[in-house]
Amino acid sequence: MSIHRTVKIKQNYESVAWKWMRYSAIILIPLVWVHILIQDILVGPHHITLDYVEKRWSMIGWQVYDILLLSFAFAHGMNGLRQIIVDHIHSRRARIICGWLIFLAWVVITLIGGFAIIGAAHKNLVAFN
Amino acid sequence: MLGSLRTSFTGYLTFRGGVGQVSFLLHRVTGLGILFFLTIHIVDTALVYFAPHLYEHALELYRSTPFMVGEIGLVFCVFFHGLNGLRIANHDLFTTAGRETAKFRQSIWATFVITIILWIPAASIMVYKLLHYNFGFFAGK
Repeated sequence: MSIHRTVKIKQNYESVAWKWMRYSAIILIPLVWVHILIQDILVGPHHITLDYVEKRWSMIGWQVYDILLLSFAFAHGMNGLRQIIVDHIHSRRARIICGWLIFLAWVVITLIGGFAIIGAAHKNLVAFN
Repeated sequence: MLGSLRTSFTGYLTFRGGVGQVSFLLHRVTGLGILFFLTIHIVDTALVYFAPHLYEHALELYRSTPFMVGEIGLVFCVFFHGLNGLRIANHDLFTTAGRETAKFRQSIWATFVITIILWIPAASIMVYKLLHYNFGFFAGK
């Protein structure tokens, strides 16, 4: 026989991050696996060209897909890196510095990727008009 | 910091946690590997917009043999990390009963087996392409 007890725990940053990792994992399975299946397994680097990517980004559906992929995958990955650093770096000061460095890298690289995808749309709009 | 790293490393090697510890370690290592690739991949794909002529150089790198072999490993990492992540999410969010160690171990073995089953056909296709384009097999080049 087992006894079940429900405990209410106040939300904090770490508990939100913990849930985020699990819920984003469920969303990332179709997003990443379809991306890997198409680009790595079926198409492959020998058939990916500048033209191929530009054509893909001229379609709003793939742009939305890639923006979702970028934001979910990179945020999931950077938070995972943060969790590993919390486990392995025992100095509080070093942990805080690493946390901010990871945050900065996450913001900058997400913006670089996001600008490229949205910028491609803008270029297409200009070409269309 | 070096001391704590050494403690972690020797701890991982000597701690006898069984299959659960192996999956925990693999989850971290594959996660770090995927993140490392993803970071490079976001920046190089952004070249399509920011510096199109440089993107061609990036593609040449991706077509080289070491990168294509690495890509096959990357697909293994993505399959394992994804399946193991689903297993963890299922245990943590949805499973309220049946949390016995034996069942956990069973689900970990199932994760390994499904990863290999998914990876073998994917890797076969990618090995075929590598041999075809880079070594001239199967009437390539």
